[in-house]
Amino acid sequence: MNENLFSSFITPVMMGLPIVIVIVMFPSIMFPSPNRLINNRLISIQQWLVQLTSKQMLAIHNQKGQTWALMLMSLILFIGSTNLLGLLPHSFTPTTQLSLNLGMAIPLWAGTVITGFRYKTKASLAHFLPQGTPLPLIPMLIIIETISLFIQPMALAVRLTANITAGHLLIHLIGGATLALMNISAATAMVTFMILILLTILEFAVALIQAYVFTLLVSLYLHDNT
Amino acid sequence: MPQLDTSTWSITILSMIITLFLMFQLKVSKYYFPEDPKPTLAATPKPVTPWEKKWTKIYFPLSLPL
Repeated sequence: MNENLFSSFITPVMMGLPIVIVIVMFPSIMFPSPNRLINNRLISIQQWLVQLTSKQMLAIHNQKGQTWALMLMSLILFIGSTNLLGLLPHSFTPTTQLSLNLGMAIPLWAGTVITGFRYKTKASLAHFLPQGTPLPLIPMLIIIETISLFIQPMALAVRLTANITAGHLLIHLIGGATLALMNISAATAMVTFMILILLTILEFAVALIQAYVFTLLVSLYLHDNT
Repeated sequence: MPQLDTSTWSITILSMIITLFLMFQLKVSKYYFPEDPKPTLAATPKPVTPWEKKWTKIYFPLSLPL
């Protein structure tokens, strides 16, 4: 039972070839490149959505922070599309892999921190000590602030992994329960089926929300440091 | 938990780096947001023709040396 439950999270390998590369690259097919002056409806709708999102997300940044626009937009598109495609049955969701999320979180967070160190060294170091702390508390507070700084990338990665993994596990479990209950009592199976439908709607929301939260937090770390 | 099997981590991170930093950014960088068309005046400015300012001798063909 345990082995079956987690088997959808094993990195897919087909006959020794790591097809995880193809699976991670697959969502980019859903976004065709605009090649014409006036594009078709799909590309126009995607372009409009990206414009909407980027205006909302980059409003709080200054000139320096807005150079990250391309990075943040491709980040939210990648995470959102990967999460949504993972809701299809029997699909592999790359964002359930801690490796992928760590690989996204650590470089992006480190980029924001290093940017802050390079351009506003004093201000970024001053983040470690909030204003108006009493003198004896200073060493302890610096330790606490350092820990909270270094936990940011870990929290980013683990938040995304845990949310998507937990959602998929719940869908598996409740779907299995519905299937098992169908032979025993159809009414209870209907109840579990309704739970499954509500859960799937929640997972759609979670897929998009997690993408948004990830990108928003990266942009917040950027805002602190530019 | 299969996510903690570090043997597959390098290929996953590599494929993510290629997808996120190469493919998605190439696609999104081609998005084009044209500005709203600005209204301009229909009247064209008077063309500046500097050769009409001075009437020089060469315009009189009979005064040219033979």
